Amino acid sequence: MSSEFEISRSITIGQYVPTDSYIHRLDPRVKLLLFVVIVVAIAFNTSYIGNAIGLFLSLYLFWASKIPISYGLSGVKPAIPFIIILALLQLLFQGQLFSGGKVYVDYGFILITSESIRLVVVSAVRFIEIIFLSSVLTLSTSTTQLTHSIQSLLSPLKKINFPVHEISLITTISIRFVPTFAIEMEKMMKAQASRGADFGTGGWWRIIQRTKETFPIIIPLFNIALSRAEDLILAMESRCYTPGGNRSSYSVYKTLAKDYLVLLVGLLFAYLLIFYPFPF
Amino acid sequence: MGARPIIQVENLSHTYMKGTPLEHVALKGANLYVEEGECIAIIGHTGSGKSTLIQHFNGLMRPESGKVIIDGVDLSKKKVDVKTLRQKVGLVFQNPEDQIFEKIIGDDIAYGPFKLGLPLKEVRERVKWAMSVVGLDFEQMKDRQTFALSGGQKRKVALAGILALKPKILVLDEPTAGLDPKSRNELLEKIKRLNREEKLTVIFVSHNMEEVAMLADRIYVMAGGKDVLCGTPKEIFTDKEKLQLHHIGTPETVQVLYRLTDLGYKVSVDAFSISEATEEIIKVLHGTKEDLEDVQRV
Repeated sequence: MSSEFEISRSITIGQYVPTDSYIHRLDPRVKLLLFVVIVVAIAFNTSYIGNAIGLFLSLYLFWASKIPISYGLSGVKPAIPFIIILALLQLLFQGQLFSGGKVYVDYGFILITSESIRLVVVSAVRFIEIIFLSSVLTLSTSTTQLTHSIQSLLSPLKKINFPVHEISLITTISIRFVPTFAIEMEKMMKAQASRGADFGTGGWWRIIQRTKETFPIIIPLFNIALSRAEDLILAMESRCYTPGGNRSSYSVYKTLAKDYLVLLVGLLFAYLLIFYPFPF
Repeated sequence: MGARPIIQVENLSHTYMKGTPLEHVALKGANLYVEEGECIAIIGHTGSGKSTLIQHFNGLMRPESGKVIIDGVDLSKKKVDVKTLRQKVGLVFQNPEDQIFEKIIGDDIAYGPFKLGLPLKEVRERVKWAMSVVGLDFEQMKDRQTFALSGGQKRKVALAGILALKPKILVLDEPTAGLDPKSRNELLEKIKRLNREEKLTVIFVSHNMEEVAMLADRIYVMAGGKDVLCGTPKEIFTDKEKLQLHHIGTPETVQVLYRLTDLGYKVSVDAFSISEATEEIIKVLHGTKEDLEDVQRV
């Protein structure tokens, strides 16, 4: 029987699963770049087949990186209500904009056509693909690797005075602390439950009561977050961190032939997703 | 000592993140037996499963395999009234001052009793009682702001918040960690009083052996998710072989006495309270009991 409080289990962002697969060993810059390109490609593709291929690819990546698919699924689970609401809204109100194809329902402002159904299905699948892809990326790449690659990919922007280093630092810190706060939250829920608090009781329509129930968790978490931030500042300052300082890096990434190969295959894949005229 | 078992743990196991690459076994076959009114210390190194074990006592965790029976309630059954259980077993987490969320001390302590659905008058009485037990003046402190308190005072408020539930069993996870020596001694005195005078069954986790020697009737030693040793402080701290086997520290007094025996002096190593140890050391210094009395006269 798993505990009702084990929430850190369902949070996969910012967690690194070291299985040392070849996906783990790829140059993180290549991974990040391909991630961005493929997500864009998926966003462009509106065909059923194209998205089926995208879904297949994201599942394949889980297999290739030796990360159990349950990780990806637990990332999708909390998003399901959003996907459903989004799908319903699109189905009911977007029909007029995508009115091509066969008309199934035409009742007042509601217009459901084969095109609007395609929109609904494709955007739901797209959402899941993107969650899967980002899960694979963060699960197979440590946060340090991610920061370094963000920094190195954005470094051309330094010329126009874009704060590349600061942005990548902020991103890393925020990603790094997601699991930490999940653990803190778990502890806080347990502590408050020990003094009689209950969470998620009462129907969802009793919004005020349910909001009140979260106060005993949210307020202490805020306190903890602030004091942690203060600690972090002190720790960084005592190690002579200066914003904007020029720093070298401990690990230097080398892009090998296999990295270029993967990059090439990935770009080709993205190109096909965007430009190939899928029949269905 | 009441002969009724109030907590019974048999062959309890628990695995975190089961079915993921990050799974790890926290408990494997732990046993524990606590009688009503006892004061039990649980000691052991980090990762030995202490925290996981005590979270089973108030139903935050349910037994994965094995048995947990709290005051006659079997927690491995599917339907357990956790609310009543959590009222009966007050669990104080590590750094409990983090859980304070109300603006005013009185309100924060009253949170639990209100959640029990008690009438205002009863809640007030309980807050008053809880504050007096932890040594906070009700009239003076109840309307103070929580954020302006010192660490030691915050911890008292948090403890009062649990006590206001009027639990029969009080479970504390490292109650004195991070406190200054003065607040630490005060808190230990409070816990001792709760056990001896208010007749609460107390179970606490600690790394501080002086504390353990001072408070506990019995000690459970945990290692690798199991209880490896159990006995009175005398039994545990005098068993040198087992102490070394499980890398258990001893109170400083015992360490000094062990050193003395190693050097060939005849002292009894089971005198671990400070006054007893002093007596032993003075005996060594002066040879005889009469000398000791002389010293005390001087």
